[in-house]
Amino acid sequence: MTTPIIEVQNLKKSYKKRKTKEWITAVNDISFTVNKGEILGLLGPNGAGKTTTIKMICGLVRPDSGSVSISGIDNQQKRLQAQEHISAVLEGNRNLYWRLTVRENMEYFAGNRGKSRKEVASRIDELLQQFRLKDKENEMVNRLSRGMQQKLAIAVAMLAGSDVILLDEPTLGLDIETGYEVRELLREIVRNEQKTIIITSHDMDVIQDLCERTVIINNGKVVTNDRVENLLKLFEVRAYAIKLEGHLSEEQHQLLLEKFPLLEYKPDTVHSILEVDLTQSQDIYELFDILKLEQIPVDTIDRKTINFEQVFLKIVNGRDKVAVSQRA
Amino acid sequence: MQFLNVLNANIRREYILLKRYLPNTIAMLITFYVLFLGMFAGISLIGDPSTQDTNIQYVIVNYIFWFLAMVVVNDIGWQITNEATQGTLEQLGMSPMGIWKIMLSRLLSTTLIEFIIIIGLLYLSMFTAGQWLNVDVLSILPILILTLISMFGLGLIIAGFTMILKQIQAFLQILQFLLAGLTFVPLSVAPFLAFFPFVKGIDMVRGIMINGMTLSQFALADILILVFNAVFYFGIGLFVFLRCERFAMQKGLLAHY
Repeated sequence: MTTPIIEVQNLKKSYKKRKTKEWITAVNDISFTVNKGEILGLLGPNGAGKTTTIKMICGLVRPDSGSVSISGIDNQQKRLQAQEHISAVLEGNRNLYWRLTVRENMEYFAGNRGKSRKEVASRIDELLQQFRLKDKENEMVNRLSRGMQQKLAIAVAMLAGSDVILLDEPTLGLDIETGYEVRELLREIVRNEQKTIIITSHDMDVIQDLCERTVIINNGKVVTNDRVENLLKLFEVRAYAIKLEGHLSEEQHQLLLEKFPLLEYKPDTVHSILEVDLTQSQDIYELFDILKLEQIPVDTIDRKTINFEQVFLKIVNGRDKVAVSQRA
Repeated sequence: MQFLNVLNANIRREYILLKRYLPNTIAMLITFYVLFLGMFAGISLIGDPSTQDTNIQYVIVNYIFWFLAMVVVNDIGWQITNEATQGTLEQLGMSPMGIWKIMLSRLLSTTLIEFIIIIGLLYLSMFTAGQWLNVDVLSILPILILTLISMFGLGLIIAGFTMILKQIQAFLQILQFLLAGLTFVPLSVAPFLAFFPFVKGIDMVRGIMINGMTLSQFALADILILVFNAVFYFGIGLFVFLRCERFAMQKGLLAHY
């Protein structure tokens, strides 16, 4: 049985806009758990409430109501105790002191967590090797590339030795090569260090590649909480590309659209293709009944491959609210 | 022990940054020295010749304490502003030691490092003026420590408000003149100022450095006021800082603005 290391319960947070004095609900009754050693993707479109949720988990923002417990410690009642179990790389590239060197940054942040230089010296060496920053250890951070700065920020979070690491957009603004390197490093951390990691990212490849489970937030609410593979399977099963011999008449097209509003019709010179995402897998029979009744000849049927980005867009756009369950 | 590690980390950081920003540090010292020369020239040229020596001695002590107050009280406000702008304030907020302990160690480390500069500035001023004051370390040190504690309290208040308001630069500019007022005005002119942070301490140090008094010559009431100020202002400072921190976390103000 898996043990939750983070328990988020009924979190709510509203902010008052400075200019309009209007109250904005950033997070509206969010609950989820993260198991020990799990890597969870926290996703959502811009303004969905991801960063506010992350900061409430970190103890940097106090919720209006609800609770967050980390390793069984309530982070409102015993904030500092809870923070021993958590470290974070927050969005943006300013998690570091630009006028300190790589090593000085690591030593300084470890010092601020109450650790002596001697205590962390060998761990710093290890991390510098692991993050391929050894040759840059005496370089000032402002002279490093964006990718190196990001790697250093993750190394600093690792140095804290906490059970949980929160990474807010860890690959944002990185070129493809560095993004891939960071992704590999994160995979290594999960594999070798047994850390619990929460990632927010707009890069769905990162999520699909690294996360076991995702919590998708939209308008401050959890809309999906499921394993990545389940979500992919769920949508893959219901996405089809049907190649027809010839073209549909306007009436036939309308008839199909009435029944399957999400159907896309793509006529070619000789053939035409129907792309359809079905709400329920048995709907395929109904589609074939119509095609048979209308005597529309079918050439081939393919199950469409779907990536996590498409799954995410479908969920966020609310097209599959009914079908997507909360199964975690 | 853990706090000592926090303190050590912050002293090291302060020292490294002082070295890296050496031209800035030198420029700041030159500015202060030139200002002192201006005051010294003013007293020498247009001051009353019968009280010239005493006036110069007062200026030296007051000036040094103004510099100290600026370093301790004003600097922490600037530091919070910079941290918030850089985005590192949130990282400090993630420390299980608590932001206040980090800020206190910043105050201590800034004071320790800048103290070396202050001593240099003191001897440079005495040399320039040809006025050698009574530097009785054993008498000055206990008073100075208690005075600094009340200054730290004020620094924590400034740090707390800066955390919420962030754009406090204009106020910090004004604050340096308020600090000048508190360090330059003698208690004999405004006795009620004895209960203001650090004013009593500076007055007592003036007694030692200018009038050659020793610690044992001060009345018990003077010492008690000094202790009271230290405890009171530090307590108030810590309380205000923690309330401000809580407020900043409620409003999500630790992020960059």
